[in-house]
Amino acid sequence: MTRQQLVYLYCVADREPELKETEGLADNLYSICHNGFYAVASKVEEEEFGQEGLKRNMADFEWVKAKASVHERIIELVMADTDVIPFKFGTLFNTNDSLKAMLDQYGEEFKAILRKLVNKQEWGLKIYCNPEKLKTSFSNDEAEILKIENEIKFSSVGKSYFLKKKKDELIEKTLNERINECGQESFELLKELSFEAHINRLLPREVTEREDEMVLNSAFLVHKDEVGDFHNMVDTLKMHYEGIGFLIDCTGPWPPYNFCGLSSGKGQNE
Amino acid sequence: MSNAVVKSKEVTLLEILDRVLDKGVVISGDMVISVADVDLIYLGLKVLLSSVETMEKLRGSPFISPMQEAK
Repeated sequence: MTRQQLVYLYCVADREPELKETEGLADNLYSICHNGFYAVASKVEEEEFGQEGLKRNMADFEWVKAKASVHERIIELVMADTDVIPFKFGTLFNTNDSLKAMLDQYGEEFKAILRKLVNKQEWGLKIYCNPEKLKTSFSNDEAEILKIENEIKFSSVGKSYFLKKKKDELIEKTLNERINECGQESFELLKELSFEAHINRLLPREVTEREDEMVLNSAFLVHKDEVGDFHNMVDTLKMHYEGIGFLIDCTGPWPPYNFCGLSSGKGQNE
Repeated sequence: MSNAVVKSKEVTLLEILDRVLDKGVVISGDMVISVADVDLIYLGLKVLLSSVETMEKLRGSPFISPMQEAK
């Protein structure tokens, strides 16, 4: 049996990308010009990326980390020269011809996406919350909470038990309100400065490996002229929120992973 | 708290995985192989990355709807 190779697609670009710098990241990296697009791809072994191989390798977290990082770095390098449509990890074709057929089939949609992306960047914003710190920050100035605390001091054991329960409920309620306020305000203000904005699923602590809870996971497509204002707003939000138990983490510019949905609705893995 | 705007080179692996495995264009059709199956193969990792109870659900209070919204 001969060793089969597959075509792994990283991204589609609208100008010919400079691929020299990407050497060492992937073997046989090349671009195919077809239908007015440049598809950046590399040959991979069927044994590693074919259905069986992928099944085996996706269970190997070290392999996933390494390959996902390569995927990202190649797209970032291409992105330095031109606008790109980033593809999801593990988009594979049997041959260059099947890749070209895909470029024909989706050509109009890709053109529309690339038109939209001109002069724009994707930025990510994640907000984390330390609930205990946030509770401390508002417990001393919430009138209702202070009132209950005061009542507890002058109550019988039985009554104070219920008052304490009431106080805890009130603290939880206020905590949720504060978290929602922070998430909503941050998202809305940054959305005002963006061409498009998107809220993503929150990741649990087992994944983030942070002690704090993620309370907002969002992405923004920002016009390059507005990136300065966008960052000023992020700084303002940090000043406002970081002292009271929130952490605001802004990263980018990213390949526009969140803003390349195909109009058929099948483009995004939602 | 001081890392104002981190360039993508320094960002955590989490940020990369959150995008590369979960976002980006997904195409379907006869000429594409694996993609549909990759979705299944992802399962182990997807459990980790995306089939996650949102805080919204955890708190039982409505937040902003997770929709893509254009300006």
